[in-house]
Amino acid sequence: MKNATAILGDLWRSVWRTGWPRSAKERSLVMTSSLFLHIHPVKVKKRTLRFTTTLGLGMISAFLFILLVVTGALLMLYYTPHPAAAYRSMKDLEFAVSFGWILRNMHRWAAHGMVVSVLLHLCRVFYTGSYKKPREFNWVAGVCLLILTLGLSFTGYLLPWDQLAYWAITVGSTIASYAPVVGEKIRYLLLGGNLIGEGALLRFYVLHCFILPGLALLLIGFHVWRVRKDGGLAAPEADLPSNEVSEGEDGRFPAGAKTYGLMSLSRGPDYRSLESSDPADEIFAWPHLLYREMLLFILVLAGLTAISILFQAPLEELANPTRTPNPAKAPWYFLGLQELVHYSAFLGGVLIPGLIVLALMALPYLDRGREGAGVWLHPSRRRSIAVFNACLFVLTLLTVIGTLFRGPNWALVWPW
Amino acid sequence: MNTAKEQFLSRRGFLKWIGVGGVAGTFAGFLLGGLRFLFPNVLYEPPTRFKVGKPGDFPMNQGTFLEKKQIFVFNTDEGFYAVSSICTHLGCSVRKSAKGFECPCHGSKFDENGDVLSGPAPRPLAWYRLNLGRTGDLIVDKQDPVDHKFRLKVTA
Repeated sequence: MKNATAILGDLWRSVWRTGWPRSAKERSLVMTSSLFLHIHPVKVKKRTLRFTTTLGLGMISAFLFILLVVTGALLMLYYTPHPAAAYRSMKDLEFAVSFGWILRNMHRWAAHGMVVSVLLHLCRVFYTGSYKKPREFNWVAGVCLLILTLGLSFTGYLLPWDQLAYWAITVGSTIASYAPVVGEKIRYLLLGGNLIGEGALLRFYVLHCFILPGLALLLIGFHVWRVRKDGGLAAPEADLPSNEVSEGEDGRFPAGAKTYGLMSLSRGPDYRSLESSDPADEIFAWPHLLYREMLLFILVLAGLTAISILFQAPLEELANPTRTPNPAKAPWYFLGLQELVHYSAFLGGVLIPGLIVLALMALPYLDRGREGAGVWLHPSRRRSIAVFNACLFVLTLLTVIGTLFRGPNWALVWPW
Repeated sequence: MNTAKEQFLSRRGFLKWIGVGGVAGTFAGFLLGGLRFLFPNVLYEPPTRFKVGKPGDFPMNQGTFLEKKQIFVFNTDEGFYAVSSICTHLGCSVRKSAKGFECPCHGSKFDENGDVLSGPAPRPLAWYRLNLGRTGDLIVDKQDPVDHKFRLKVTA
């Protein structure tokens, strides 16, 4: 009997090197020795854990991504990417497969939710000035992730092969053909032909289920890794330690309240923020950070499940290439652009979205002041915040008009 | 002997460039081939030239909408002509209205010839060449656009 316990213990330790952490050393080890946990720091600043610092938006986006991967993989088991079968798959999921309807609802609402949370995350990072040096490139990676999120949502939109899907993609893909010179080629490439048919559906399916999620996973990994390498969350200047560790007169480093790792001596982009000035301001990530992450995950899952039980994901009649519904609308997050497209296809389809992406990517390289990093709505950034607010307001207004105030033949109507 | 400086290219340098060039060339080849691979050579799409029916099937002085083919065929005193129902703005299918055509997606309006009256459409609706086939059927060729003067006279 004693022998059996020892064997089980050995077995357990062959998987988990550390036991349930009880001491400070074990709390460090548990983070550094696990592939899945080592993306976390061993210790985090108390400020980082405060909900109002980040509103948890990046985490919510990541959790929704995980939920989308899981529900999406399950949905793939019942989905056939062919015009003759795709719509039937949807009906099967809806009415024949056990719990198929809730998985589809979860996938649909999580996709909308992720677009929202990624956009809000972008706003949070802007309003707290967290894109400032040395985090410029991570902001660019974030913009790429926003584009990937929209791409994932857009490619997924076609898969049900209903009227909603077919015409949203018709409009969306024709916008691509307005790009100068290469526009028609891009559309042909995207659709694998001239029409939205089996070739287009298969391409969107492969993009949606393999290529784009793969890219997103890689980029999310980079995004989080870079947050760690840039010294955690952006913090106000006052919270950063005074300066680099300097040699004492006798050629030795001063013995502080804390020992310094090699990384604090090497020249990084912002090595000061790698170490906290006050060790008392830091607490162990196990359990404080992990606990909060799990709590947030449970809340996201509970919220998504509740919404998916209460609200049915839309499914219109079978796609009919000969009958355009009136009005035909793109997904809601593109309705601001569709509203612009109503005035000029080139302006709304190519120029404005191109400029938005370009401006977003260039932002941290243009706004070079260090002041206000890590602080919500710092007074010194009044001008850039005003510009951002104005853009956000116009885009929101256009989206609201396109969503609620446009009726048949794209005429202005009241939403009630 | 000071070979490295005198020679235009040392043996080591020469081999290095062959190596680098070979690897770069291989990747460039794969990249170009991969890009070309993405453009399909064979399309399983409906034919662009098709029969639409006998001239007598189309009532005089009005347009007949052929839903599946997405064209309107008009039979007038001057002859037959075919107008595409695909909006030149973003590809939605237009409907017949009192004045001509209307697009449900972004509100473009066209007159009865398919010329833009209002809205974002950048070009008039396309007109396609009509022919009379040997079987006596009208044949539309969607790859052969024609101008608004086109009429097919059918003498029955």
